[in-house]
Amino acid sequence: MGYDASNPMKDRITDVGPRDYKEFLPPVIKRNFGKWLYHEILEPGVLVHVSEAGEKVFTVRVGGARLMSITHIREICEIADKHCDGYVRWTTRNNIEFMVDDEAKLKPLMEDLEKRKFAGGSLKFPRGGTGAGLTNIVHTQGWLHCHTAAIDASGVVKAVMDELFDDFERMRFPAHIRISLACCLNMCGAVHCSDIAILGIHRKPPMVDHEYLGNMCEIPLAVAACPTGAIKPATVGDKKSVAVNNEKCMYCGNCFTMCPSMPLADEEGSGVAILVGGKLSNRISTPMFSKVVVPFLPNEPPRWPQTVEAIKKILYTYVEDARKYERLGDWAARIGWERFFEKTGLPFTEHLIDDYRFAYTTWRTSTQFKF
Amino acid sequence: MGTEEDKQLIIETLKAKKTKTKFYLRDFNKMFPERRPREVSKLVNGMVTEGILEYWSSGSTTMIGLKGAGVQHEAEDREE
Amino acid sequence: MAKRKTPMLDELENGKWPSFVSDIKQEAEAREKTNVDLQIPKEVCDDLLDILELSYKDREGHWKHGGVAGVFGYGGGVIGRYCDQPEQFPAAKDFHTLRVNQPSSYFYKTEYLRQLCELWERRGSGLTNMHGSTGDIILLGTTTPQLEEVFWELTHNLKQDLGGSGSVLRSPNCCIGKARCEFACYDTQQVCRALTMEYQDELHRPAFPYKFKFKFDGCPNGCVASIARADMSVIGTWRDDIRIDQKAVRAYVGGEFKPDAGAHAGRDWGPFDIEKEVIDLCPTHCMAWNGKKLGINNRECNRCMHCINTMPRALRIGENTGASILFGAKAPILEGAQLGTLTIPFMKIEEPYDELKGLIEKVWDWWSEEGRNRERLGELIQRMGLPKFLEVCEVKPDPRMIREPRSNPYIFWKEADVPGGWERDIKDFRKKHQK
Repeated sequence: MGYDASNPMKDRITDVGPRDYKEFLPPVIKRNFGKWLYHEILEPGVLVHVSEAGEKVFTVRVGGARLMSITHIREICEIADKHCDGYVRWTTRNNIEFMVDDEAKLKPLMEDLEKRKFAGGSLKFPRGGTGAGLTNIVHTQGWLHCHTAAIDASGVVKAVMDELFDDFERMRFPAHIRISLACCLNMCGAVHCSDIAILGIHRKPPMVDHEYLGNMCEIPLAVAACPTGAIKPATVGDKKSVAVNNEKCMYCGNCFTMCPSMPLADEEGSGVAILVGGKLSNRISTPMFSKVVVPFLPNEPPRWPQTVEAIKKILYTYVEDARKYERLGDWAARIGWERFFEKTGLPFTEHLIDDYRFAYTTWRTSTQFKF
Repeated sequence: MGTEEDKQLIIETLKAKKTKTKFYLRDFNKMFPERRPREVSKLVNGMVTEGILEYWSSGSTTMIGLKGAGVQHEAEDREE
Repeated sequence: MAKRKTPMLDELENGKWPSFVSDIKQEAEAREKTNVDLQIPKEVCDDLLDILELSYKDREGHWKHGGVAGVFGYGGGVIGRYCDQPEQFPAAKDFHTLRVNQPSSYFYKTEYLRQLCELWERRGSGLTNMHGSTGDIILLGTTTPQLEEVFWELTHNLKQDLGGSGSVLRSPNCCIGKARCEFACYDTQQVCRALTMEYQDELHRPAFPYKFKFKFDGCPNGCVASIARADMSVIGTWRDDIRIDQKAVRAYVGGEFKPDAGAHAGRDWGPFDIEKEVIDLCPTHCMAWNGKKLGINNRECNRCMHCINTMPRALRIGENTGASILFGAKAPILEGAQLGTLTIPFMKIEEPYDELKGLIEKVWDWWSEEGRNRERLGELIQRMGLPKFLEVCEVKPDPRMIREPRSNPYIFWKEADVPGGWERDIKDFRKKHQK
């Protein structure tokens, strides 16, 4: 039984796809599928959905690190078995949801979740992430697993969430706040429509290891990998290698993916950019892109204090100043970006003026501005 | 599935490239200008199943080459 | 215990938010104690922490990419990773990732999760992402020989396949939909599953110039972010009237029901003011309140969801439901970020989804034919123009597809558009005009 390396095609199964979600729906969900009438947030992290049949499902939403061990998942299973008849789900923002079909089951579930802590003291299952407050930060792999990462992901997220933690458990913001992190500009997790985006960027073109490049890499592939055409074949000494036109480099790291002899991460060069004001719901205003408001902050492990500080400045200025239902981008657009920089105290530099493709669409072409 | 002739054409075209061992699907489409990309990708994917070609992935993009050709990561070599 | 000295990571065990460092450490301890015959080094989690600590010290990552694409015959589902200090960290030197195609909207039975844990304890690092950005369950960190073993056990014992990576259809994803949301205008989970099954070949075997993503949002709130990141985003909508329960509207006005489903309960915003909070914020100003009755001019409504979100017990989506379909969203790399462009204002989304499948296949054929290497669909549409794309989709131009008409007059007329065509005789011209 099991895989036989000497006969890999024996009994091979392919193309079976994912498991059918219908197997995994809790009975109360199955019974009321498509018949939900309304929902309400009973308190931060606790929702009730009421169906046409009058049935209710109560959901307790808790935060979780996206990086999760099987030991932790087994603990989630234990809780789900104890309180939720063996069902559990995750949200698109890496939160975990425990559902019960009876209000009486809520309290014991919540108490059980509350008391669980990691050995280091952090909460295993903080309740919250609902309504007009802060929810979990979606993020990418960072230094834990990615080769083009300009910043860590899990560590930065932990540092930011620790600082903003109280607002995960409250709902006092004017509207939802969605924070996202991508550890390089390739954005394997897209962050370009977030209220606040933390983005890893490199600022130095790749080095070229001429000594080994010819042996390690296929030169045409390294050349083709470059999205801006900045890489050309070159002979250096007697070695076949490549030359990089630094002026054209956008520091994406695609060449390093194809060719390990072209590393670009750098302790001084790589760091954080912050973008704000994006959204993707169609509520009131249309979806919007996030805009760069901090061009660069250095990597400061383990707690990235300057990054955390900048985010707090932006977030709390918005929270104090915006109107009810106004998303961060709507607020900035209403007060004007000149006011945004004034109120947040963030410095405005030439790096924040677009000079890439379609740049003109972001320049002011009127006399309507504020002194 | 492709004929022996189709396969030979692919193998020879790939072998003729001296400096490159990994190719985009589009490069295969060019070998069969008369055919629809869908047919060509079926042919190429069939040759992978037969063990003639193999995939190489950048994570975001997939490339295709002759099995075993080109510079592999030492560990990929070591373990296979 | 392990050799580990990770002062910077240890700092991340403090604070209230769940600490991934504490979690990796507990996994390291579990591996130390387990009786399971681990198929990859026992110390993999310890070495991983050490690698990360080194990155914190160096402020640079320590991974290299590897081209291993998948299991035999698959062009996606595995991401190859190698540590660039293999001698120092032998237990984590090969650390590949498998993407496991998630069930629609992440519902699980614990029995399944336990099976998955058992498999990943024995044949991997014991670390996962629940879930990755595209939606897959990510199994983080194993060696090359384990890839086929994991795949065999996944398919045979868990009846579960890998997800997509590289130039394939990526694992489709959807919002919670009708399972637990009153706003869902169609069954997002079912269409997500149906298309995932229909296009297994495209998901596992590269047939495209680059990645392609489907995402299914049940309503214009867009909880799965399809409008920003899916090459094809299907967003639920309706074309009849919002259903109003006038009694419930009055209950909101009277303060009996919490506005916005209680989402603003953490701050004193004063009593609910329907004029200020709903009527005035309506983007099309199609609503009126006379103190007793709420009126909606539904013909002018653009279905932004604000009033429904704010008074969910009083207002419901219409009954003639379906979806709007937008194409071409993507993150900025390379030509700049794009949101999806509205191409099909309304389509019924009902099994067996033939109309939707027909549309998808037209788009794929065109993109495979015309797309350059690593050109996302959105970039191709930009390069060739929206009118061309509409022609490909065989849909008629509609002002709903644009924000405003073009402001330049540089129309590329087709010869057939112009009476008499483009071929003219210079001699005829000369009869009327001298040289």
